[in-house]
Amino acid sequence: MSAAAAASGTYTPAAEAGGKRREKREELRRHLAEDADWPRADGRSIHDCRPAFMQTGPTTAASGSAYAEFGKTKVIVSVFGPRESKKAMLYSDTGRLNCSVSYTTFATGIRGQGLENKEYSGMLHKALEGAVMLHTFPKTTVDVFALVLESGGSDLPIIISCASLALADAGIMMYDLVTSVSVSCLGKNVIIDPTSDEEAWQDGGLMVSYMPTRREITQLTLTGEWSDGKITNAVELCMDACGKLCEILRERLKDTAVLESE
Amino acid sequence: MVGLSEGEKHFIRGGIAQDLRADGRTRLQFRAVTVETGIIPQANGSARVRMGATEVIASVKAELGKPTILHPGKGKVSIYVDCSPTAAPMFEGRGSEELSAELSVALQRCLLGGKSGAGAAIDLSSLIVIEGKACWDLYIDGLVVSSDGNLLDALAAAIKVALSDTGIPKVNVSLNAETDGEPEFDISDEDFLQFDTSSVPVIVTLTKVGKHYIVDATSEEESQMSSAVSVSVNRLGQICGMTKRGGAGLDPSVIFDMISVAKHVSQRFISLLDSEIAAAEAADAE
Repeated sequence: MSAAAAASGTYTPAAEAGGKRREKREELRRHLAEDADWPRADGRSIHDCRPAFMQTGPTTAASGSAYAEFGKTKVIVSVFGPRESKKAMLYSDTGRLNCSVSYTTFATGIRGQGLENKEYSGMLHKALEGAVMLHTFPKTTVDVFALVLESGGSDLPIIISCASLALADAGIMMYDLVTSVSVSCLGKNVIIDPTSDEEAWQDGGLMVSYMPTRREITQLTLTGEWSDGKITNAVELCMDACGKLCEILRERLKDTAVLESE
Repeated sequence: MVGLSEGEKHFIRGGIAQDLRADGRTRLQFRAVTVETGIIPQANGSARVRMGATEVIASVKAELGKPTILHPGKGKVSIYVDCSPTAAPMFEGRGSEELSAELSVALQRCLLGGKSGAGAAIDLSSLIVIEGKACWDLYIDGLVVSSDGNLLDALAAAIKVALSDTGIPKVNVSLNAETDGEPEFDISDEDFLQFDTSSVPVIVTLTKVGKHYIVDATSEEESQMSSAVSVSVNRLGQICGMTKRGGAGLDPSVIFDMISVAKHVSQRFISLLDSEIAAAEAADAE
């Protein structure tokens, strides 16, 4: 597991991210300072992400696969294909992306609670379809199957990041890697990479899926009540963290390539 | 879905670029909205909203239920959307499942607020009858009767109108010794409590076609979109939900720009809806 230990890294955003809006961020920081007297349960500060451990190739039968472990959240994603689309499907000159997210029954504290997140499959699809070059595999389908082994908060963003690593591992052509980070709004504080406890008490949540090299947001969801300035700051915080996470993904892909060439 | 020739596609895109759309509207202009309330007598509140050829119905039903153990001081609200095959043949069977689920999730995200209840359209603690024992469960159902684009905005508007039409019956609680201290409920048929619907947001969807974005897109225009951002804004101009649709990625600065445009447009839409609600209620009272 020495390689595994080396494979973990943090991707905490730099304080000076998004220099243009630094003033606004300073304002946010002042707000945070007023109400920053509660440490997070796992000892992180509010802008610290959990250490990200990611690895390619956990399943051998798949064209590509990836495993991600962020704190308690453990996700495995397999990519199969491209394979011929089902006969019943209409002809399409672009490829199809078939995404499915499932939870193990023991993933959550109360058994089977993960089944509530039915919308995740569709959201995974929306986050990835803008990044995959679908025109490179006409008439065929690529399957992306994600399984949440253990749910520990920020499940969907981790699934998205892990799926894009698996797609890259499978050699599916993509414009850019997609990484995703979520933040929770708790009182005056905006905390990054929330755990499930923090998510359960959040006033609002925001998730950004981002292609760092192309500087494009592929998916964005927001709940709860947010003031305008806070949204801008939170989105920039997420984008910066996404950029850092993307570096980790890239390192993992390079490691695999080196191992294969040896 | 929508069969368009190359010429028609070019016409739609060109019109949007020149700020004159196929039906004569400008980019940030809504279609005519008509509102009717109280159309379903069995429901506690209901509304029909028409925006051009798009027609949706929303109904609100209230039932007495039990609050969850985690939130003893809060009622429950659930939102579901159904797309009827009478609206379009592709909604038949399982065809509407994906769209229905997408619309339901988007509405839940925009109306129910965060997990702690902040930013929610309906104050859940106002639904409580006896803390930990009894509360009102609100079932909000949306039905797409006819579909010509911009379903999400129309559904959110219909829900807003339906909630303002909703009357929750007054409940008299009597503690009875014979039933082991279990409360007995006497639901009034005459006295109703009105909701405070001032914080119910509207949803404004900005559909990006080419370099520009438009509000209230028809299905022809939607077929040409690269992506769309739905922003829900309440009366105070606060944003309480956001979803992105469509595959193409968006530049962050475009998204920030869309948010500020949506905020501006939403205030116009809210006042338009308010006057329609007042007119519908006046028509009802006659």
